[in-house]
Amino acid sequence: MRPHFPKAAILAPLAAIAVSALVLVLFLISMGESPAILLEAFTSTFFNSFGLGYTLYYTTPLILTGLSVALSFHAGLFNIGSEGQLHLGAVSIIALSFFLPHLPSYLAIPLGILAALMGGGLWGMIAGYLKAVRGSHEVIVTILLNFIGIIFVNYLILYPFKNTEVQNPETVEIGNGYTLPLLSDFTKLFGSEFFLTTPVNITLILSLVTAILCYFFLFHTPKGYELRALGQNRRAARFNGISLETNFILVLTLSGALSGLVGVNEVMGYHHKLIEGFSPQYGFTGIAVALIARNHPLGVILSALLFGAIHNGAREIEFLSERMTKELSVIMEAFIIIVIASQPYLVRFFSKAKKEGSK
Amino acid sequence: MAELRTPIVEFSKITKSFGAVVANRDVSFSIHHSTIHGVVGENGAGKSTIMKILYGMLEPDKGDIYFKGRATKIRSPEEAISLGIGMVHQHFMLVPTLTVWENIILGKEPTPWLIERESIIGELETLRKEFGFQVELTQKVEKLSVGHQQQVELLKLLYRKSDILILDEPTAVLSPQEVESLFEKLQNLKKVGKSIIVITHKLKEILKHTDSVTILRQGSVVESLATEDLSEESLAEKMMGHKRAPLKYHAEQLHQTATLKVSSLVLKKPTTQQLNNISFEVNSGEIVGVAGIEGNGQQELIECIAGIERHFKGQILFNGRDILEFDSYELKQSGFSIIPPDRHFEAVVLPFSLTENAILGHHKEKEIQNGFFLSKRKTASLASHMIQRFDVRPSDPELSMSSLSGGNQQKLVVARETLRPVQFLLAAHPTRGIDIGAVDFIHQHFLELKANGTAILLVSSELDEILKLSDRILVLFQGKIVAQFTKETANERALGLSMTGGSLS
Amino acid sequence: MMELLLSTLRLSTPLIFAAMGGFLCERSGVATICLEGVLLTSAWAAATVTYFTHNPYLGAMAALIVGGCTMFIHAFLTVKAKTDQIISGVVVNLIAAGMTPLLTKLLFGSPTNTKAIPVYERFNSNALTLFACVLPFILSVLVYRTGLGLRLLAAGDGPEALETSGVSPQKVRLWAMSLAGMIVGLGGVYLSTAHASQFTRDMTAGRGYIALTALIFGKWRPIPAFLSCLFFGLADALQIQLQSNPIFGQTFPVQALQALPYIVTLLVLVGFIGNAKPPLAIGK
Repeated sequence: MRPHFPKAAILAPLAAIAVSALVLVLFLISMGESPAILLEAFTSTFFNSFGLGYTLYYTTPLILTGLSVALSFHAGLFNIGSEGQLHLGAVSIIALSFFLPHLPSYLAIPLGILAALMGGGLWGMIAGYLKAVRGSHEVIVTILLNFIGIIFVNYLILYPFKNTEVQNPETVEIGNGYTLPLLSDFTKLFGSEFFLTTPVNITLILSLVTAILCYFFLFHTPKGYELRALGQNRRAARFNGISLETNFILVLTLSGALSGLVGVNEVMGYHHKLIEGFSPQYGFTGIAVALIARNHPLGVILSALLFGAIHNGAREIEFLSERMTKELSVIMEAFIIIVIASQPYLVRFFSKAKKEGSK
Repeated sequence: MAELRTPIVEFSKITKSFGAVVANRDVSFSIHHSTIHGVVGENGAGKSTIMKILYGMLEPDKGDIYFKGRATKIRSPEEAISLGIGMVHQHFMLVPTLTVWENIILGKEPTPWLIERESIIGELETLRKEFGFQVELTQKVEKLSVGHQQQVELLKLLYRKSDILILDEPTAVLSPQEVESLFEKLQNLKKVGKSIIVITHKLKEILKHTDSVTILRQGSVVESLATEDLSEESLAEKMMGHKRAPLKYHAEQLHQTATLKVSSLVLKKPTTQQLNNISFEVNSGEIVGVAGIEGNGQQELIECIAGIERHFKGQILFNGRDILEFDSYELKQSGFSIIPPDRHFEAVVLPFSLTENAILGHHKEKEIQNGFFLSKRKTASLASHMIQRFDVRPSDPELSMSSLSGGNQQKLVVARETLRPVQFLLAAHPTRGIDIGAVDFIHQHFLELKANGTAILLVSSELDEILKLSDRILVLFQGKIVAQFTKETANERALGLSMTGGSLS
Repeated sequence: MMELLLSTLRLSTPLIFAAMGGFLCERSGVATICLEGVLLTSAWAAATVTYFTHNPYLGAMAALIVGGCTMFIHAFLTVKAKTDQIISGVVVNLIAAGMTPLLTKLLFGSPTNTKAIPVYERFNSNALTLFACVLPFILSVLVYRTGLGLRLLAAGDGPEALETSGVSPQKVRLWAMSLAGMIVGLGGVYLSTAHASQFTRDMTAGRGYIALTALIFGKWRPIPAFLSCLFFGLADALQIQLQSNPIFGQTFPVQALQALPYIVTLLVLVGFIGNAKPPLAIGK
């Protein structure tokens, strides 16, 4: 499919944001909170270095999980397992560093990234293999693998890889060679304090590059063509020489690998260790990101930015208000998704209303 | 010399558009009691539309319907049913997992609560016997033959006491004998006063079985007249708007090389029709037709030959090599082309553009690539070549495939599969559901390919097509080849007989 | 042994309710990934309303209403707005997972759990379990032997046929799904007010997906699905037993046992089901 950007593709998300913002305002008012905190939270997510830094830090994994889900969607598959895949990717980096803690940077960094790709990729491949060989529905398989994967990773964090010197449920630190520079390390070079104390790091650049690569892969290579044909019309693809089995395994493995890269952001880019419960539902939010972006890899970047901002804003609100929790972001996300998903229906509804009105 | 009788249904200047497409334009004609009336025209002429309006599935933009002399608005199938109008659709509207009697009462159940099976089945038995249907009421619909499924559809209408029966392309999937049987029953229904409307494009049936016809072309009524005043040529001409050009046959050539050789093909799978010891050859420069009613192994045979079904016993050789040595992509690269039977689900990807559809199945070729990437320029020029050569309209290669008519879509498919050196062509139902102009174009093209040495295996349920094009005809019945005919020995009656397992003694 | 049997029945009860709700919904032609979310919201409603009204019956009613409404979101999105059924299901689950802790924090001060209700306010768990064992048989008769049931089956296996006979498959689906939501709601009642005495965050722990697997394993028929639920309940009961009673002198890390039900479900899904055929209209 040609990557079209009709008017609707821009208007719809804007309308959705407007509607959800309205809903949030009403919700806050009904709970006795001042909606002004909404404004304050919003400005802080974009308009100061601290807020923007955090927003971009959340955006990074969302680009990756968004790509993960979007890629599978293009091939007609639902990858709900992004959450589990990213856990496996993250713990793979820890495992590598655990056994080879003293690697120098020029080895540690590429190998660390590779470990993340392989960990997530493996987890995705399981689902792909089961789909290809047994025909099992990938939605339930990936959801179950989420549970299994997260429990398994938690086990690894709490037992073999645990940092026994602290109380917190976290692993030992990774070797120095594995750490990635923060963006604030770069701005310091120019004498600026931009992004200081924020966790946004080089992985942001990595995820942007990945998004661009995904775009070219999907729309300009024969294999990408095959995946898209598979997603649009499975039988026709099969009849014309496109293998179902190989491609199912391929696309779920790639999707898993993309999710696995989230580990790079968390472990190599910021915390330098893995903490239990480190993921605020990046995987599931990735589904929303992909949906809003209509599964277009470049659109995912913008969509991830939006959701990163919402996530950061919600944390800000939790900070500013006594009673609100960061789950407020879920309400906003949910309404955005609902508006986008029911867009054709709403369009019909409003145009019918217009017709009735003009009679 | 038609008697003056009040028509039971009269259409008056019905107009209906879908966006820019005018499906019906000022359509006016009438239907009388105790008649079999044909509504005929090419694909896309507007026949289905006007009937859907009568059945309440669509509402006209302009015009009126007079029912028993009174202007009536029919706003839903429910209203149509209450007026006594019933419709049997081209693609049967049955629930496959339910039984016959359950399908019949669906929507008009005796009670929303516990159903008394014996009593309702008894009632339906009486109805079934009254009209001479043989279908078994307690059988699940998915296990029925197509002809029996159609009986269920008719019983649905009779259960609701329909007086006007609309049949949309009823014979598309029937054998010649089943067609006869169907029209016999329709004659019985006609005798008790029912009006039967048959939507069809099959010239021979129209002439043989209808009392009167209305001919539509491009949304407008060409003429309404008694069938006895028509001949096959005049009917075709009125439907097409111009005289139909006959096919041009080339001189016969003798080729002895067996391009495709199928030996002792056996397929045993629990979920499909089995194939039992099938052997035949297709030589270069020859067209071999496979006739048979759908569901007797055609799909399975096609999938084996196309390299999709790989778990069979026996051997299929292409130019001497076992086709299992190729994967289905490689097969296409070696001059082996396939026109799949189901256009929408197997041949094209509707949301893709014409250009993207033009490279389907050939997308890994070096000629259209630019390093790792697909070259936009090269794919576009390939697509334009196909579009021009086959006169595909509309011709903008960036348009989505779904904006083309069935005939144009199929022309692009045929172009894609045959505008490269092709040694063997498997053409499965190549002209199903497309207008006469496109049908003739494709048929002529096949004859050209044959003259150039291509071996063609033509699988089709249109006997006309098989008879017109084939040098030899194989009849497939229950997974076996039960008869072989040559051009000289083949005729409709003999073919029809073998297709249902009978034989000439 | 007896202990294990009773434990199995208890642990299967929410699965059975969820699976029966899923049965009605899927049979009408709509994929039900959202069982998890419906279970969660109704469990929340039951616990919260019972806490404030001190009346478990009011809590149960609230659960039924909330369960029906949650399922109705899915119904609206899929039937009216023609959203993809999987996406809609995932969205409902997301909303449920987000709204419940938020509302819990607002009403109870902490997002993790509601305040516990005293023992005498809990719902009679035996009554619910008994009903859960009878429900599959009731639904079996309702769906396979009545006129309304016929329409339900047609909506799932042949909606065009239903449409042309004058009945709207959309209406059938909306009704079926609302009823389904209420039945799943009973599972929620059980989870938070019968089996436990409060609502805890994410307390459903994947039961909705396990129930869905049980439904698929039972080939979308109520009684085989019921038996599958018992099987998964047994796995869960075993896992709990093993956590406190080592066998062969081996203790397993808690996580291994926690993962056991999911692994079992996965193996069942993959190993024994392969290509089961769902109602024909699902996903369209």
